[in-house]
Amino acid sequence: MEEKNGATSKAGDWRSYERVLLPPVRDLHRLEVYEQNGGYEALREVLTSDKWDPTSVTNEVRNSGLRGRGGAGFLTGLKWTFMPPVDPNIPRFLCGNGDESEPGTFKDRQLMEFNPHLIFEGMLIASYAMSITTSYLYVRGEFADWISLMEVELAKAYEKGYVGKNVLGTDFSTDLVIHKGAGAYICGEESSLMISLEGERPYPRAKPPFPAQRGLWNYPTTINNVETLACVPLIINRGGEWFADLGSHRHPGPVLYGISGHVNRPGVYEYPTGMLITDLIYDVAKGMRGSKKLKAVVPGGSSTPILRADQIDGVTMDAETLRDAGSMMGTAGMLIMDEDTDIVSWLRRVTRFYHHESCGQCTPCREGTGWIENIVTRIDEGAGNLRDLDLLIDLCFQMEGRTVCALADAAAWPVRFTIERFRDEFEARCRPSLVPSGGVLTPALGP
Amino acid sequence: MTDFIKDPVILMPERHPEPVFSTEELVFTAEETRQIATWVSQYPTADGAIMKVLWMAQEKFGFLPPEVIRLSAGALGMPYARAFGVATFYTQYFKSKKGRYVLDVCTCFSCQICGGYDMLHYLEEKLGAHAGETTDDGLFTIQEVECLGACGSAPMLQITNGPYVMNLTEEKIDALIDALKRDQLPFFSSVTLPQDEDDLGGNRRTDVRDTLTYSAPPVAKTLG
Repeated sequence: MEEKNGATSKAGDWRSYERVLLPPVRDLHRLEVYEQNGGYEALREVLTSDKWDPTSVTNEVRNSGLRGRGGAGFLTGLKWTFMPPVDPNIPRFLCGNGDESEPGTFKDRQLMEFNPHLIFEGMLIASYAMSITTSYLYVRGEFADWISLMEVELAKAYEKGYVGKNVLGTDFSTDLVIHKGAGAYICGEESSLMISLEGERPYPRAKPPFPAQRGLWNYPTTINNVETLACVPLIINRGGEWFADLGSHRHPGPVLYGISGHVNRPGVYEYPTGMLITDLIYDVAKGMRGSKKLKAVVPGGSSTPILRADQIDGVTMDAETLRDAGSMMGTAGMLIMDEDTDIVSWLRRVTRFYHHESCGQCTPCREGTGWIENIVTRIDEGAGNLRDLDLLIDLCFQMEGRTVCALADAAAWPVRFTIERFRDEFEARCRPSLVPSGGVLTPALGP
Repeated sequence: MTDFIKDPVILMPERHPEPVFSTEELVFTAEETRQIATWVSQYPTADGAIMKVLWMAQEKFGFLPPEVIRLSAGALGMPYARAFGVATFYTQYFKSKKGRYVLDVCTCFSCQICGGYDMLHYLEEKLGAHAGETTDDGLFTIQEVECLGACGSAPMLQITNGPYVMNLTEEKIDALIDALKRDQLPFFSSVTLPQDEDDLGGNRRTDVRDTLTYSAPPVAKTLG
């Protein structure tokens, strides 16, 4: 067992790690090549072998410890067990969430391009495990080229009998439909995604009831990220134990790290969970661009709290360690910033994103994201008061947990934590306030 | 009673705005209708197909004025108001006429710190239009957009909801604009995984014409 917060990687001997989500096989995205490399074997085994029934598949996924790769990190197998008992009169649905729009995240796009059949196979096995007859793969509309590619490959899979009526000659039938979004960050939120699929204006709705009770068209539904679903065939092929042994014990498995920002070699890398952030920056991504000093890391997409360079020593990429370090795993889309980055301007752009993407349904979010952007802009332009910083923090507390979905939280966290962790830079940009706030919000005294 | 409305909030127009498309134009062909029927069969209710129908309508008409949204709703038998609610929610559905090519420049945070705004400002200057505007010749609309999910290849832009152009430089923008003026859209570019470069000596796909590799991003000059 690793020491807690120790400076050791939990990814073991990651340099000799052999990739499984994106194995080095030429043209793996084509069905013929995928088949030659053991593709759809997991599906075949699950459907034909006596060893497997829906319950044992779910148990295997549960035992593997697979956690969602879309941001929240919920246990996938456990989520599957939330589906109510099968009733032949009630349809059930599965959604593959490929609406990747969290800033800093670009791993799903490459998975969809280079290994789409692994996603399909994962969705088919998940459909079998939960007795689902229709599944939807929701992909963001901007990925038009990748959607076309997947449509072609899906048609081939239909033709070969991996999807559709009587899959592989068994009595299991299931359909898979690719649904193209049209550019809305909020549709990555599960209830919004479902409502978007239903053909309504996709305002998220309150939970509970959770999708497993009332999902698509009010029927039982499970939603998983596409990378999560792509792990499922691997778990069937190699066993839950193999998966559980990979990387961090409490957050195991392979992960696609999307590294962007001021590094020499950005990109999508597949390694086990529990990689040291420093290894990822200095070894995997070949260090900082121009040998600059590291200033900050956003470990998992824009809504995960930013970490200062002095906060990442010994921190590994898994839910528990990152939580202890004051951040979150998110989507493992890491943004690396060097010493020259203006953190105030950067935060201004982050707040602008959330203001633009707030769906406008709940007042704290609709108004809050706008006011946060206004105030951060004022500070960035040098017209802010010191008291504005406390005002921002207070605004964040007014937003967190007070809305239907988590977008308000996701918008508030970067503001709260960036100000907390880079307060000196914000203060240096602000004019002194004439009246100390002391936590009491009094109107400003004019310009 | 009549002084109930003392100050009308807005002046109501005398009539509906002039439709862009005539009644003769506002039809789906037999083939399109068949396509719609296929989509409807993919969802438990016809409404589920509205996003696909709107995409097709936008492809056909170029943008989605109210009458086109009404046509799309009618094709599915769903209320116009609901289809309108859908069409107006998403940024990729164009509610007004755009240039022949819409250049969506990503300036969201990864692109921002890697020169997204430099590229946006260069493009604005080059084309003489600001973000959100269309050039006078009607060829280009520039838009500033949120994260397009190509953060490792920053800065980047997307052309009219279609191809991605990544690792932008000023020279690349010059070449792109020239090509677009000749109506040549760039080919799809596949971005090589760094690990594939090491293990396979390059991109794993043999069926793509253009490949890009991940490389250190440029230094951003402006952040806003």
